Amino acid sequence: MKKYIQPLLPVLTLYIVLLGAGLSIPGLWQPIAFIMFYVVLGQALNMFLGMTGYVDFGYVAFLGLGAYGMALAFSLFTDDGLGSGIIVVGFLMAVIFSILLSMAVGAIALRLRGAYFAIATIGVSEGFKYLIEGARLWGGSEGIIISSQLRDSFGSEMANYLSTFASDILIFAIGILAAILTVYTLHTRAGYALMALREDEDAAKVMGVNVTKYKVMAFGMSAVFAGLIGASAWTLKLTYVFPEDVFNIIYTVEAIVIVMLGGAGTLAGPVVGGLIYGILRYYLATVLPGFQLLVVAPLLVLIVTVFPDGVVGYIKRKLKGSRFSKYVI
Amino acid sequence: MVLLKLEKVTKRFGGLVAVNEVSLEIKHGDSIGIVGPNGSGKTTLFNLISGVYMPDEGRIFLEDQDITELPAFKRAPLGIARSFQIPRPFRSATVRENVAVGAMFGAHGEKMSVDEAMSIADHYIDLVGLGDKRLELADKLTAVEKKLLELARALAMKPKLLLLDEVVAGMNPNDVDKIVSLIKKIKEEEKIAAVAMVEHVIPAVMKFAERVMVMNEGKKMVEGATMEVLKMKEVAEVYFGTSQTIGESGDARG
Ligand SMILES: Nc1ncnc2c1ncn2[C@@H]1O[C@H](COP(=O)(O)OP(=O)(O)OP(=O)(O)O)[C@@H](O)[C@H]1O
Ligand SMILES: [Mg+2]
Repeated sequence: MKKYIQPLLPVLTLYIVLLGAGLSIPGLWQPIAFIMFYVVLGQALNMFLGMTGYVDFGYVAFLGLGAYGMALAFSLFTDDGLGSGIIVVGFLMAVIFSILLSMAVGAIALRLRGAYFAIATIGVSEGFKYLIEGARLWGGSEGIIISSQLRDSFGSEMANYLSTFASDILIFAIGILAAILTVYTLHTRAGYALMALREDEDAAKVMGVNVTKYKVMAFGMSAVFAGLIGASAWTLKLTYVFPEDVFNIIYTVEAIVIVMLGGAGTLAGPVVGGLIYGILRYYLATVLPGFQLLVVAPLLVLIVTVFPDGVVGYIKRKLKGSRFSKYVI
Repeated sequence: MVLLKLEKVTKRFGGLVAVNEVSLEIKHGDSIGIVGPNGSGKTTLFNLISGVYMPDEGRIFLEDQDITELPAFKRAPLGIARSFQIPRPFRSATVRENVAVGAMFGAHGEKMSVDEAMSIADHYIDLVGLGDKRLELADKLTAVEKKLLELARALAMKPKLLLLDEVVAGMNPNDVDKIVSLIKKIKEEEKIAAVAMVEHVIPAVMKFAERVMVMNEGKKMVEGATMEVLKMKEVAEVYFGTSQTIGESGDARG
């Protein structure tokens, strides 16, 4: 039990501090929710990119499908008197959509090695955008707006509370869940299989690791969490989904940056990466609106050059052998 | 029943025939040496047996089971383990974790827990003499230590057939002796059915192998009792282009 709790302590402490600060200091809730979105986005991608070393350029498609899963639940079942159960149905649909897509993409693309996998996934999110717009699926380019259904289901006060507060709390909950699952996985046979295949896929195979099985598993796990994020941070928070917004490759790129910056395959990596990236992104947007990427990009290049294993990867190496090493994995 | 049987196995890389219709039988109890000049196809042969490559022609049997089409990860649980000529450690993991992966996914069975695998790993780490490097990261090891790590990883898989690709290369003669004795001892103690070792270091082959196969340009040239084969003039010629016999020179790389 201790081996799970010790590495979770710093991460959970950080969540509690952020939550406490957001709740008690006026004006801080919004920026903290914004930053937490990036933290959790990184955590979800880390489950795949960090664990396997495979780059998924179609990652945002899971976010998008999760958002649509939740939106469709509201547009299909609002009149069925499910009460707050409709949110559960929405999350279920988000998860099912993400799993189905991860199985479809995984079955084909995960047979490809490294760079070929990356190239094969580039089309996935763009493909979905054009499919939804072109085939006028799920409202086509007009998307799905659920603000009136939210009001019908919960009343306007509760609906407002849901989108301005509860959806952010859900993001915290998803982050905590992701952290627990990551720690657990790292300590199982699956965790060692993933480490082995990330470090040297051929050596792993020769040693008996069914690499495809574990890649598909990590891909599915990462997809589910991305779907949950899409359902909360998008649909519940914004109360609408447009294909153009949600299938936007910029989120994939940001998530990759966060994982690399913090330390791929580590527990605390995407949390630290998301924190740094989120803070930079938020405050630069207010100080230098429109120019934030111009500043963020070279800064990130600098940090990644100084810490090739990411910030947490670097700290982990430094702490090796000391009594603090158990707390940073 | 033979342990491993290769039937006219061929592997091509484009126009190059790296392994050319090689047939070989390895029996329970065998200690076989595989020698041959650089590029003669020894490592490729190991890659075919362990499933890194599939042969273009020919068939491979393990205890009468046709494993020709079997992917590498399914061969390991059947008892095939190999070391890599150029060590391929999992760099960001510790020595212990590296070896534990072998125990977890090798021939011990799927039930092997992480904790059990760690204690099995410790046993083999001690056996190869890396005990004080247990918690070191694998990429911090010296070249020789990485070779020993390869050996420990393969041993932890509990193989029936152990394939060692130039484990003693780069070690000083003292260490070569020690490691060869160790491998012989482990073979008995751990009941490994057969060990095949590829080596250029001829004293190691002489000390270890009862039987030798010589490869040249992808083909099997001769196979037979170690001392007889190493005394053959043809064998010396493929190595040196002279008629000095290998048995006299010590290292086939000269
Ligand atoms: N993946 C590959 N692609 C192309 N050619 C290859 C590949 N692997 C091996 N070869 C070629 O096949 C031939 C046999 O190589 P192999 O590595 O099996 O030789 P070897 O007997 O192990 O040599 P050494 O003693 O140098 O280790 C060489 O000509 C080599 O260049
Ligand atoms: Mg070789």
